[in-house]
Amino acid sequence: MRKEEIQPVPSEKLDLDEWENVMKSGLPEKGSPEILEHEGDSSLTAIKELVEMWRMAGKTVPENISNEQLKVLMERSTKSYRKKYLKYLAIKERLKKAKKERQMAERKVMLEKPIEIEELSEPWNTFFLQSLKSFYDCMYKWRAAQSMMFGQPLVFDMVYDIYMSHREMVNTISQLLKTEGLNRKSPYPFHIHFCSLQTEGPYHKELLKHYGEAWDKLLITTTEKAHVDMFPKDKLVYLTSDSPNVMKTYEHDKIYIVGSLVDRSIQTGLSLANAKRLNLSTARLPLEKYLHWSVGKKNLTLDQMILILLTLKDTGDWKKALEFVPKRKHEGFVDTQNYSQEKINF
Amino acid sequence: MMFLCAFKVPSVLHTALRNGLPFPAIACHLPVVYSSLFYRHCLYKLGCFPFTTSPKFTCPENCREPPAIKNDKPIKKEGRVHNKTAFPFSVFSAGAAERRKLMLKWTEETKDSKGRVSKQKTHKVPSKPLCAQEWKILKEESNRIKEFEEHMMQQIVISNCDINVAKSLLVFAAKESSIGYKLLRNYLILCANQNRTSEIYDVYEIMKARFKTLDTSALSLFIRGFSQTDHWEESLSLLETMKKVVVPSRRDYSNCILGALGKKKWKIAWDLYYEMLKSNLTPRLDTLKSLFDTGKDLKDDMFKSELVEVLLYMRHNRVYPDEALMWSIKSWFESIPGENWKGYVSAVESSGRCPTCSQSLESINLSQEEYGSLKDVILNDVIQGTDTFRKTTPEELQEFQTFVASHPPFDIVIDGLNIAGIFKRGCRSQILLSVVSYLAQRKLRLLVLGRKHMLNEPGIWLRQHMDLIQQRANCFFMENISEDDPFLLYATIHSGNQCRFITRDLLRDHRACLSDIQIKHLFLKWQRGHQLVISHYSPGNPVTFQPILSYDTIIQTTGDTWHIPYDMDNVTRASYEVPRKWLCLQRQNHKI
Repeated sequence: MRKEEIQPVPSEKLDLDEWENVMKSGLPEKGSPEILEHEGDSSLTAIKELVEMWRMAGKTVPENISNEQLKVLMERSTKSYRKKYLKYLAIKERLKKAKKERQMAERKVMLEKPIEIEELSEPWNTFFLQSLKSFYDCMYKWRAAQSMMFGQPLVFDMVYDIYMSHREMVNTISQLLKTEGLNRKSPYPFHIHFCSLQTEGPYHKELLKHYGEAWDKLLITTTEKAHVDMFPKDKLVYLTSDSPNVMKTYEHDKIYIVGSLVDRSIQTGLSLANAKRLNLSTARLPLEKYLHWSVGKKNLTLDQMILILLTLKDTGDWKKALEFVPKRKHEGFVDTQNYSQEKINF
Repeated sequence: MMFLCAFKVPSVLHTALRNGLPFPAIACHLPVVYSSLFYRHCLYKLGCFPFTTSPKFTCPENCREPPAIKNDKPIKKEGRVHNKTAFPFSVFSAGAAERRKLMLKWTEETKDSKGRVSKQKTHKVPSKPLCAQEWKILKEESNRIKEFEEHMMQQIVISNCDINVAKSLLVFAAKESSIGYKLLRNYLILCANQNRTSEIYDVYEIMKARFKTLDTSALSLFIRGFSQTDHWEESLSLLETMKKVVVPSRRDYSNCILGALGKKKWKIAWDLYYEMLKSNLTPRLDTLKSLFDTGKDLKDDMFKSELVEVLLYMRHNRVYPDEALMWSIKSWFESIPGENWKGYVSAVESSGRCPTCSQSLESINLSQEEYGSLKDVILNDVIQGTDTFRKTTPEELQEFQTFVASHPPFDIVIDGLNIAGIFKRGCRSQILLSVVSYLAQRKLRLLVLGRKHMLNEPGIWLRQHMDLIQQRANCFFMENISEDDPFLLYATIHSGNQCRFITRDLLRDHRACLSDIQIKHLFLKWQRGHQLVISHYSPGNPVTFQPILSYDTIIQTTGDTWHIPYDMDNVTRASYEVPRKWLCLQRQNHKI
């Protein structure tokens, strides 16, 4: 408070209940219609009103909420569980809105542009082949087809559907989609096998939902058979972060298996248990050997995994491969001097 | 080491033998404290080893203020004040986790003594009501034009200033724009904190008229505000409104019950209480306290039987009273007309005898049926779980089961890898060997659990040590990727009541595998009665263990007596720990 403004007298005169009169004055107009709305009273409207009030109280709540979402909300038993769901919806809504705005802005720019483009674009003669997107697609498919004939197989084990929630399953599928794309675009792709993929099972349904018609044209092998029935057992290596064996070198004649699993709640030893049951050899990446690990679990996402494996296959260089481990999880590589020493040892 | 004297107290020894504990190794430590450093050194020696479980489990159950730790005197005093039953500290005694935390904190502090200062910027709150003009200047001065009023109101709530300041802010907000819900709710928090009944009612009238419904936090605040006033029935109807959308919290129920008790509506209070229990809420201790306080003034038979039910509920669910509730219970018992109860605060002897009434407490040993069910649960939920392969393999489990069945019952099962890791320095196999030899000298049948790598790493596990261990004890080595703790539990339970196990792991992750809450309580009781923790080890000296209590720490009655364990106010108790102090109540019929 500034010193020159010492005004004890006016502040005492201040009518402290003035605001109440202001608040009460606007009432009669609003009072009557409310009672009508209350008559259709059910738990659904009650929860709808609760959501509205939470919004007014400044909590992260979506602006619009559908009846299905309200029903999901009602099924959730505790207050915090409900708030979490509302927060999730709110963030989703905000992202959607931001995307829409961005698109609108882009469209606006596009609408303004055409006149200039028409002025600039003149017939352009060149002896180079025009590089269209379809050319690239063709090349990628060609490579993928080639890998299906001669490439090294990489197995994704699809037996974990019972351990995952719907949300985790959706995440898994989106990671698988990414994985397939990354693999296709690499110079020497893997021959990807989706093993134990049950038709009409949860994995299959979600994959179909995302791929649609492209599913049948995809250059990967999908089978209901388990990996042990397709390949000789001694060639198989299960990659799992719980494994006691550290992978030393990448072996080109082995068939590596990755479990298609996302565990948001820690499920230690799940894929290791599978490998133990089938008596397969297991391995984990030498993360501690090359990285100063700081925080986080040592399991990686499927797309990170394929990037690491692809780089390993192409270069055999652990340092290059482990670049794809998220930066937040480690504090840089182990000293390069040691690193080169290790490399010589291999 | 000269500051730590280890005595073998004959009475402890005697009871240990009487209770079927087959070895007289339980020693009692009396620390002689000369300086803070030595105190902590002793503390470390007294079994306050860092425990091998993740910190998320170590959250204390009742988050009261931690004991004063600025200087060491209070703790030192605490150690002296308790008589010998309170001192030799077990890992399950109330406050043990807190002590370990202190000790670890101290070691961390010495490593780096950097303090963190919060960088959150706060606005200064005016000390007296301002007029609109002054508020406007303040708003312009702050670089927070958006939501200035809400933010300022929050600051007022945090610093708990005069309500007139808040009112003047509201006047300003009403002039400036309009008063939003959020602002009004923050004002309500202030009113509720300062118990301004008339203001709360005004806000209620306004909010009810202005907004269609209220959010849950506002409802809770109104319930709290109204419960002690003439509008208390309003709080009941608010509770009903709340039930439509969420399960009210135990604080809301508590406030309603307090309100009903204040207005002498006993039936409503008890109905609310049972409704709360039905929705799986644990009543707050102050709710229970107010029930007992009311019972003291009322002297009604119905009320009395209800209160006895409350005590039995507390027994069943392991709810331990705090000091305030304990005094209420005591004075309620003493006020029952014609029964002549007398209550004493006591510390039960390690033999399980209450020194004030010379009665023995319930034994910590489990009955035969309880043993059977616990064994099944360990096998099904802990070892096998959803998939046997996650912790072991079926072959290994089978092999272990036949191994255990083919040997006579063991006296002690040792978690070899855990024991060997007590000290970071020193040869691991040497430590294990000395513990095994010490116990083997006492003619105890031992089982050492280990992993196969212990046999093939002569650099760490010396061959001659391992051979000696295998001579002196039965050994079972499991696969390197199997978990050993579940097997430890299985072997101990299989060997029967006299068998103990040694590990410093608190086994909280295995307890978490159990689904039923009653089984969890049972497991904890069994664990308290059978887990030995090494309290002191130094090469060449006898190994000493923390004491195992022979009695169960639970509310109990024999009709003429009640024994109620309670939490002391300055001790923070973790969820798996039990209180150390008791309230002993006796009916003195014969003296009349």
